Amino acid sequence: MLKKSWVNLLLLFLPLVAGIAAFMLISVFARSLPPFMLTADFGFIAFVLGMTVRNLAAVALIFGILTTVLLLILYNASLRRQEQTRLLIDSAKGEAEQGRRRFLRRLDHEIKNPLTGLRAALVNMKEVQAGADRERAVENASHAVERLTRLLTDLRKLSDLEERPIELWQVDLPDLLQDVVDAAHVLPAYKGREVSLLIPKVPSPFPKITGDRDLLVLAVYNLVENALKFTCDTDSVEIRLAEDGRAILIEVADSGVGIPVDDVSKIFEELYRGSNARTTEGSGLGLALVHRIIALHEGWIQVRSSQEEPRGTVFTIHLPVKKRTPILRPSG
Amino acid sequence: MSPNRSTLLLADDDPTIADSLAPFLERAGFHVLVVSDGVSALEKAQAHHPELIILDVLMPRMDGRETLRRLRKAKIWTPTILLTQVGEASERALALEEGADDYLNKPFDPHELLARIRAVLRRARPGERSLSAAWLLTASDLSLDRRARRATLAGDIVELTPKALAVLEYLMTHPDEAVTRERLLEAVWGWEYPAGTRTVDTRVAELRRALDDDPADPRFIETIPGEGYRFIAPVHGEG
Repeated sequence: MLKKSWVNLLLLFLPLVAGIAAFMLISVFARSLPPFMLTADFGFIAFVLGMTVRNLAAVALIFGILTTVLLLILYNASLRRQEQTRLLIDSAKGEAEQGRRRFLRRLDHEIKNPLTGLRAALVNMKEVQAGADRERAVENASHAVERLTRLLTDLRKLSDLEERPIELWQVDLPDLLQDVVDAAHVLPAYKGREVSLLIPKVPSPFPKITGDRDLLVLAVYNLVENALKFTCDTDSVEIRLAEDGRAILIEVADSGVGIPVDDVSKIFEELYRGSNARTTEGSGLGLALVHRIIALHEGWIQVRSSQEEPRGTVFTIHLPVKKRTPILRPSG
Repeated sequence: MSPNRSTLLLADDDPTIADSLAPFLERAGFHVLVVSDGVSALEKAQAHHPELIILDVLMPRMDGRETLRRLRKAKIWTPTILLTQVGEASERALALEEGADDYLNKPFDPHELLARIRAVLRRARPGERSLSAAWLLTASDLSLDRRARRATLAGDIVELTPKALAVLEYLMTHPDEAVTRERLLEAVWGWEYPAGTRTVDTRVAELRRALDDDPADPRFIETIPGEGYRFIAPVHGEG
């Protein structure tokens, strides 16, 4: 990368200086030639020689000027590129810094609330001797501890995903999705509802992908948990599997309240809570985890949502079918 | 102190934790010595010969790992539980490599610590080096080289995913012990997984296939219905 400095500027003007020097030298040389060589009176050869020497001086000067101009143009363009790159880096740094501050602000909020609840519960436990009030205080304290533990666990998961390589092996997606449906039964938000699992009959068997099964379960489970939390008993929750030859699509769809338009672009941010999610249980890291897990599988996730009829939310995970080398190998 | 009570040495620099855990463990029937740094832990361990040591990892003067290394260097094989603070896989593996008999990730439920203490004391062989500190584990014709991360069955290398190998390692270092699926999840995966039990079952099934172990008539891994698994073959440690 070029830097603006006196040395660079001097180097840029070097061809010009060389051109002027050459011009002067040749001119002096030309003057020292016998006068007859500079006139046309003594024949054609002498004339051509004289003109060539003179032109050579002019050519050297012009070449020097042109080279310097060209170098100046290139130098200027390079400086501009350098400046643009610097601005981009500054902007990325600024965004990262802004993101860090936003994350800390949200983390502060997420910790403060259960801690406040815990302190209040402890005061109640100390001041109330026995009975229903004391029991409620113990329950509230446990609840606050659970919230903090959940937050810490999800933070640990996110940090782990940053550092450790994913385990790649052949994953049977219909089997994986059935596991998610079974696991969803124990969620408090499940309340005996049906989570429909739609697996295509063709192609058969459904193509396997190479990935980390445990992480993919976690990703789909988080989406299903969200779908259950933001729907009521009469709403539907579906998990749909499809493929188009290049990618495998996993959709988690619900007919719930939908996501406000302003929130859609931010829901995958760490600890972001949409305006209709502030009172809902959760660490605020579930969708950030999903996003990270899918990115680790070289896939991507999109969401479409509507709060007006026909309302609902559909998360679509795209996973590439391309072959990746599984790490199943002789141990060691 | 009652002569029948086992003595535990608890080393944690956080007074809130030590002050809460010590009475809890006393109520559970143990005599508890409390120290707040590694140097004191080392001194107390040598002076009082406790039956079990609980070491926090991050402590002033000497951290838990260094304390454990020095204990093992001095041929003190007192069973030790490490209280780790980071849930990373590397930290968990390290805890075993340094000869900890078990470990718990903070934050933990005190009842979980109590269960770990009882399990470690049950399988402890006083004065002997524990399986957790051995590099090579053998059970019948199955060998696990923990340093090389390689398992062999009748001399042939067994193909295993890293997770399945870690499950085998945990089971072999806790032989004849009922290991719950939740415990395996915490120990090997480090996180709770939604389809947790299925996650563990899948890896155990992989292990059984690789070891040619029939679940109906197991040589190595026995299923404990509704609970978890038990490694039934006698295990010997070397190195």
